Amino acid sequence: MNTSTTCQTQEAEGTSQYRGLWRITEGQRLRYAGAILAMALTNMCMFGAPIIGGHAIDVITKSDFAHADQWLVNLAAILPGGLSYTSYLWVAAAASLVVTALGGVFLYARGRLAALASENIARNLREALYRRLHDLRARFYDTADTGDLVQRCSSDVETLRVFLVSDVIEIGRAVIMVLCLVPILFSIHAPLAWWSLVMMPFLVAGAFVFFRQVKAVFQATDEAEGAMTATLQENLTGIRVVRAFARQSHEIERFGVRNADFRNKNYKLIQLMAYYWSISDFFAMGQLGIVLLAGGYYAMAGSLTIGDLFIFMTCESIVIWPVRQLGRVLTDSGKAVISLGRVNHILQAVEESANPAPQQGRAKGQIEVDHLVFGYGEHDEILKNLSIRIEPGETLAIVGPPGSGKTSFIRALLGLYPYRAGSISLDGHEIAHLDRFWLRAQIGVVLQDPFLYSRSIADNLAVGRPGAPQEELLQACEEAAIHSAIAGFPSGFDEMVGERGVTLSGGQRQRLALARALLKDPPVLVLDDSLSAVDTGTERLILDALQKRKGRQTTLIIAHRLSSVMHADRIMVLEQGQLVQLGSHAELAAQPGSYRRLCEIQGALDAQILADVEVGQRLNEGTAQADTENHDVR
Amino acid sequence: MYDDENYDDGFDDEKLAARFNLDLWRKLFAYARRYPNQVKWLAIFAVTTAIAEVAYPLITKGVIDAANAYLDDGTDPQMWVWGLAYLACTAVLCISIGGFIWMAGRIRTHIAHDIREDGFLNLQRLSFSFFDYRPVGWLMARMTSDSERLSNILAWGLLDLVWGLTMMIGIAIAMFVMDWKLALVVFSILPFLGWISARFQRRILSSARQVRATNSRITASFNEAIMGVLTSKAFVRERANQNEFGGLTDKMQNASVTNLTHAAVYLPIVITMASLATGLALAVGGMDMLAGLIPVSTLIAFMAYTRHFFDPIEQLGHWFAEMQMAQASAERILSLIEAEPEIKDSAEVRAAIANREAVDAGSKYAMDGGEAQIREIELRNLSFAYDPAKPVLDNINLAIGTGESIAVVGPTGGGKSTLVNIICRFYEPSQGTVLIDGVDYRNRSLHWLQSNIGMVLQNAHVFSGPILENIRYGRLEASDAEVIEAAKIAGAHDFIVEFPEGYETDAGESGSRLSAGQKQLISFARAILADPQILVMDEATSSVDTETEQRIQQGMQRVLAGRIALIIAHRLSTIRGADRIIVIREGRIAEQGSHEQLMAARGHYFEMYRQQSLQESSQSLTLHDPQPAG
Repeated sequence: MNTSTTCQTQEAEGTSQYRGLWRITEGQRLRYAGAILAMALTNMCMFGAPIIGGHAIDVITKSDFAHADQWLVNLAAILPGGLSYTSYLWVAAAASLVVTALGGVFLYARGRLAALASENIARNLREALYRRLHDLRARFYDTADTGDLVQRCSSDVETLRVFLVSDVIEIGRAVIMVLCLVPILFSIHAPLAWWSLVMMPFLVAGAFVFFRQVKAVFQATDEAEGAMTATLQENLTGIRVVRAFARQSHEIERFGVRNADFRNKNYKLIQLMAYYWSISDFFAMGQLGIVLLAGGYYAMAGSLTIGDLFIFMTCESIVIWPVRQLGRVLTDSGKAVISLGRVNHILQAVEESANPAPQQGRAKGQIEVDHLVFGYGEHDEILKNLSIRIEPGETLAIVGPPGSGKTSFIRALLGLYPYRAGSISLDGHEIAHLDRFWLRAQIGVVLQDPFLYSRSIADNLAVGRPGAPQEELLQACEEAAIHSAIAGFPSGFDEMVGERGVTLSGGQRQRLALARALLKDPPVLVLDDSLSAVDTGTERLILDALQKRKGRQTTLIIAHRLSSVMHADRIMVLEQGQLVQLGSHAELAAQPGSYRRLCEIQGALDAQILADVEVGQRLNEGTAQADTENHDVR
Repeated sequence: MYDDENYDDGFDDEKLAARFNLDLWRKLFAYARRYPNQVKWLAIFAVTTAIAEVAYPLITKGVIDAANAYLDDGTDPQMWVWGLAYLACTAVLCISIGGFIWMAGRIRTHIAHDIREDGFLNLQRLSFSFFDYRPVGWLMARMTSDSERLSNILAWGLLDLVWGLTMMIGIAIAMFVMDWKLALVVFSILPFLGWISARFQRRILSSARQVRATNSRITASFNEAIMGVLTSKAFVRERANQNEFGGLTDKMQNASVTNLTHAAVYLPIVITMASLATGLALAVGGMDMLAGLIPVSTLIAFMAYTRHFFDPIEQLGHWFAEMQMAQASAERILSLIEAEPEIKDSAEVRAAIANREAVDAGSKYAMDGGEAQIREIELRNLSFAYDPAKPVLDNINLAIGTGESIAVVGPTGGGKSTLVNIICRFYEPSQGTVLIDGVDYRNRSLHWLQSNIGMVLQNAHVFSGPILENIRYGRLEASDAEVIEAAKIAGAHDFIVEFPEGYETDAGESGSRLSAGQKQLISFARAILADPQILVMDEATSSVDTETEQRIQQGMQRVLAGRIALIIAHRLSTIRGADRIIVIREGRIAEQGSHEQLMAARGHYFEMYRQQSLQESSQSLTLHDPQPAG
């Protein structure tokens, strides 16, 4: 929701940004040209009606057809009554109606063409953004704020769309109107025509001044709104924490400050507008007043007819409003430029590298890691010199404290992040050089905090393997011990995940994600601490099922619970990015080191458990005097 | 991601827009009434604007009359009078326009602020049951877009209403005075135009709603694309997602073009109808002129009026339609502001709190005048059900004293978390009571109770901002040293200092830069810092590795002393240290007692324990103890 960081990149002004706006109209320029042409025609028609009316007024005030439009005279002559002042009046009225209606048709054409053009551009932008979001490097998302990205894709595109549908035409409209009007007015009465342009420069200048003034205020308002929204969002998502610590008054105060700040900034923005509209109206009405009084003077001097004065007044008032709108249009275009910059930030970010020749077939699942160095930033080393060879069908468990590099290893393996030195290969192919789609198709991963799409459960499973047969789907669910939970939902597999359907518990999410990965039936299966929220009974069911699949795929399990890792063929212990121990459970438990400490903690517990079980049985049987002191391991 | 148009919240937009609901607007107008002076001046400026606009054609008429009189018989035109009149009129207009924008801006921004403030205040006191069926996105939409939309209507709509009516009345008077017959002719178009206007505006707004609905789906798709990017990449879903999204953008384009086309049809129709009026004025007025009934200046004034007469109608039509369409928003936001918390302090408690504030009586007593110290919590015959047919908790009896830690175990869905929520009074029992030192907790202050509870939840919530401040949230006045001490006890200190910025590290949006385990430790530290009388841990360390957890366990003994502790956990190591273990199955206490007692009982706990121990130890045990007892 934070717009501040993003605007800075677009702070520098220059024509290059406007060139960016020009670029995105590519492919739609013919439509825009059509729209602008239609608008010019509309303007002609809109000026037509007052001209007809003005001439008619002259005809009747002077009782003379000298000022009449010849084609209307001809039309009136055809009428049953023949040419008379009355028939001329009706013909003129009808003609002005028809001319206006024709203008309406052009107006419609303009609207329709502009709509088609701008919607096409908006659609292309949306699709390009969506595509780009999928193809960007994972690194892009490390520093990105979801809310801000969504805003770029939604409201910034919308700002651009609004600009493209109305403002582009609006700028053209003001210019064309003035251009159309000038020759008309000069042909009627040149001195008055000069008078009728006197204030225009002031209006245009005023628009530019306003545009400059309002820009900073607009940005401040946007930021204040973002801050307010962010505070609100934080409060609502953390409402349990707020309540649990009874921090309501603290929160009310915090929100109150942001809320008032947004109000005040917004108010200030409207105050600026109040000044602008007030002053620009003064110029606009002043312009009309000048035409009226100067026109009155020329009328008295006999060089201008009343009808021509009417034409001047009416046409001038038609033109003055779009000119006055320039301030708003300029402001909007300024916003559009900023939005385009924000959109381009995504469109111009670095994509994942192009794919080399696509690989075919199914991998065997042999992974070889050789002196791997991996880090996210420039200098950090999350993994230092990691080397391990994992055979097809092997189950490798990875344990280690938080931050030891377990998840980073998985990310490197998936090719989500580039590694700095060393190598990882799958079946002997260096993964950095593999087709990333093929590589990832070989790996079924269950992430720590699994992401589920807000679709039905069946659709979420199908992500694993689209079109998988029903029985395999059911089996994957059985293996992930999620089947009975799904059966318990009101609509079973058709139940929607998320706010439109069931809210899944942490354990259910993990199990569903596991089923999805199992359904994929990949050569390499990766569980990244993905049973942490599953209760021990269920975990056991899942581990048993995995045991049965053994040999079918290479399996990597990251876990904290001993129960999850001890059955693995080998266990890799990571500490601060380095492999400190590697071996089977029996081997590692026998040597001093962190794994043994882990075993000892749990082993001591387990010994205790067995003793407890024994004591419990004895107590229950009433055969022993339970010596509870002995069982206090702590 | 929540989106309004595709979520059924029980408010039917179509139905609510079907009929104009005056009561609803009257209720909302109460917000505008908080600014009586601004509303008054807004109305005044709207009226003076309209009057000035009505006056212009009259001045034009005066100038033409003067010019004609001069041409006819050389009468002094006294143009300067008209010049001054024009200037005065312009001054009034400009001041009025500036004034009404200023006033409307004041009203609009302040009403939006007030609606949000009221909403936020109520959100802070509403019970959890309210949040159960209101997603965060729903609440956000009310507090942001709805409050803006309604304040817009209340300020600008009010302005246009007053301005439009004044202008229409003013023009009508001017026209009728000048030539009532001609006025009637022009007026004949009025009802027709009003009807067309209202109809079209509704159509435009309703196709705009289609656009909004599709747009919010697009936004939701973007959100999903970003949130799920790793999953999409891992499952090679890129192209499939793009294809689906393409269908959505197709829909969006169609809806949007339809909406814009509606608008493109509407405008020409209005303009053409206005020109019909102008044409009628020209023809009929021209005949009157020929008959010598009116001067040419009147005809010109008439034609000017017909051009502006329809602006207010268009505006009123627009606002009328917008108000109808916005009724669903209004209903929703009022439902939020007016919702009463199911759980709140009783009148007696509030009186006691007020009383206590009046006579400050030592720290031995809580804010509600009751004892500050909690010695015992007792649940008596407690039952709870969301749906009476399916009780979640059924006749629970349990007493917990200070210094006692209780572990609650049992299968998922057995009611463990509900029990905790009731003790914290996030929910109240459907039947039975919770007694604090023998007093029903409904007779104690809610705020007092909840400020004495520290909670650590499985889905630990961490706010964006520095880690230091996140922990300090537990006790706002705590010093940095105290924060660090709490972090040490919680086992969070080690990983925090490993960050380059240490305690000043920004946790990221909802703690996105931290792992699940790290978030749990931070929220644990926060609870320790709060120094609560009651400490509740609901799966608080499920994502923490065993070694860290073991370290936390050791620190815990010290922390738990003198408190009431409730621990929900799966891991046996966490459970077995508790003074008492409660096994909850199907909403009932199936067993309770110390670890040893329950082991001896050989019931559910024993089974659970044995099962887990066998699972966790079958191999390691053989290493440590080659002859396991059996």
